[in-house]
Amino acid sequence: MVVLSASEEKELLIDILEIKKDILTMIYKAQSGHPGGSLSCANLIYLLYKKVMKIDSQNPAWKERDYFILSKGHAAPALYAVLSKIGFIDRSELFTLRQLGSTLQGHPIKNEQLGIEVSTGSLGMGLSIGVGCALAAKLDKNNRRIYVVLGDGELNEGSTWEAAMAASHYKLDNLTAIIDRNGIQIDGSTEEVMALEPLAEKWKAFGWNVIEVDGSNLGELFEGFNKSKNIIRKPTVLISYLIKGSDVSFMEHTKKYHGRPPSKQEYTSAISEIDQIIETISVK
Amino acid sequence: MLMNEKLLRDAFGDFLAQNGDHYPELVVLDADLSSSTRTNRFAQRFPRKFFNFGIAEQNMMGAAIGFAISGKMPVVSGFSIFTTGRAWEFIRLICHDNLNVKIITTHGGLVGEDGSTHNALEDLSLMGTLPNISILIPSDIIELKEMLKCALNSNGPFYIRLPRGSFQTIHNPHFKLHMGSPEILKEGKDICLIGIGSGASLASTAAEIIERDRKISIKVINLSTIKPINVPTLISALKNVNKIIIIEEHNTYCGAGSILTRIISEHTPKLIKVLGIEDSFGESGSRVKLLEKYGFTLQNLLIQMNKILDR
Ligand SMILES: Cc1ncc(C[n+]2csc(CCOP(=O)(O)OP(=O)(O)O)c2C)c(N)n1
Repeated sequence: MVVLSASEEKELLIDILEIKKDILTMIYKAQSGHPGGSLSCANLIYLLYKKVMKIDSQNPAWKERDYFILSKGHAAPALYAVLSKIGFIDRSELFTLRQLGSTLQGHPIKNEQLGIEVSTGSLGMGLSIGVGCALAAKLDKNNRRIYVVLGDGELNEGSTWEAAMAASHYKLDNLTAIIDRNGIQIDGSTEEVMALEPLAEKWKAFGWNVIEVDGSNLGELFEGFNKSKNIIRKPTVLISYLIKGSDVSFMEHTKKYHGRPPSKQEYTSAISEIDQIIETISVK
Repeated sequence: MLMNEKLLRDAFGDFLAQNGDHYPELVVLDADLSSSTRTNRFAQRFPRKFFNFGIAEQNMMGAAIGFAISGKMPVVSGFSIFTTGRAWEFIRLICHDNLNVKIITTHGGLVGEDGSTHNALEDLSLMGTLPNISILIPSDIIELKEMLKCALNSNGPFYIRLPRGSFQTIHNPHFKLHMGSPEILKEGKDICLIGIGSGASLASTAAEIIERDRKISIKVINLSTIKPINVPTLISALKNVNKIIIIEEHNTYCGAGSILTRIISEHTPKLIKVLGIEDSFGESGSRVKLLEKYGFTLQNLLIQMNKILDR
């Protein structure tokens, strides 16, 4: 089994922290956006693009590419920052986020040249879309894989469960759903607003291969993705335990920064916190 | 046009929290947006009568049907597009059975930075095509409070759409709502501006300034009931003008403007221009810049008036 080497992991971690700084800068400059849920899933999106998915770094629209769908579209800054890191988006464009005329809208808008397959932002659509992509790939005998990132609050939407049923019905082993299990939505914790647990059992009962991972651990995530590639006749869901607002202490584990930009002072302190983490990792 | 006044949704949340006791059958439903829609203020005072359905608009609307046929009066809230769009067929059933459900949403029209996926520029066509529903769009907080009273005191389905932000107050505190009838804010004869929602205060401000600058007389109407419309009063209110501009924050292809244009032209020939968002989903940007881009400005209103007056 392929594993991440220590040096690979270190490199990834530093990239991810730089991505997180970009996320914060984008949202700070726009003075609007969703820091909490962008910071939580940035690492897994980057890992997917960098080490898991089949993509052509010179050509986002490459026909043989794997598909990525950010069903929780409000994490657009994370996607944009990752796409910039891998070279699909010009970094200077990042900081036009949410401004009139920018290609980087508040939520991702379909754009083949940037590698954005479909517009998202209205929650609960991504998994059904993924089912369609997976069925089409099977029809075409294309061995592309489909990756869909879902919020845990987003699982409240009934359509997600309709898609879950269809995916196992059609034995879509080319489909991997990743749940950002950060435990928080807008009005409070997921268990307070609309209890999801026992979540793994629900997906198992729907016929999915369920892998639970500590999403902050890149090695575990990577292993999970690799395992999902080898499962046959079943879709896989990675329930990734993550932290809302991760790596910025005052944004962690709180609903407060779900949809609120940092103030100037908060921004400065967030950046310096991440810089410190980068420094610690670099000297290791 | 955008003032530092209380947000419409703040007034909505406060109204529910303050008046919860007057309506024994009232229950409030939200879909993980109670902190945005301000129904959380009701939730704090009446925790037993508040139900958060999570991000599940369809289930929430279905449950509203259940509440209604069990004698309750559900107020269902959320963002305009998700609530009306995702749950549309449930709303169709609510209207079909003429149930006592009040759908009151925030973020109608152009929402600003969240962008096209969150804009509600189609909700009036979605709701307008449903029999039995009353559709109200407030132009300011005073009118909103009247509408809330009216909706909660009547039986049957209502859709009240709160645009994002706050609007200049154009009503005095003693204002009484006459549902269905156009409200004449100012008399005039050369042209009539019909403002809907945020369009009403734009129309009044524009009329004042433009009348001062040019020698024309402008009639201004606030039209806050999109359905049902009292046709005879509308036609009679428009009797002395031949040219009309309707201002609405909606897709012009199929919105309140199109509904009004049909009704008016079935009775009397007028030249009508609908100023709104022309067949687009909109985009991200500050609300002020978006309103500018899509023509909700004094300058554009003046251009449109000159065009139509020259014909
Ligand atoms: C259909 C729909 N309803 C409501 C919203 C408003 N909304 C945006 S984000 C969000 C909460 C998302 O929670 P979760 O899926 O847990 O995301 P995360 O915590 O990972 O950011 C809500 C309710 C939406 N975007 N789409």
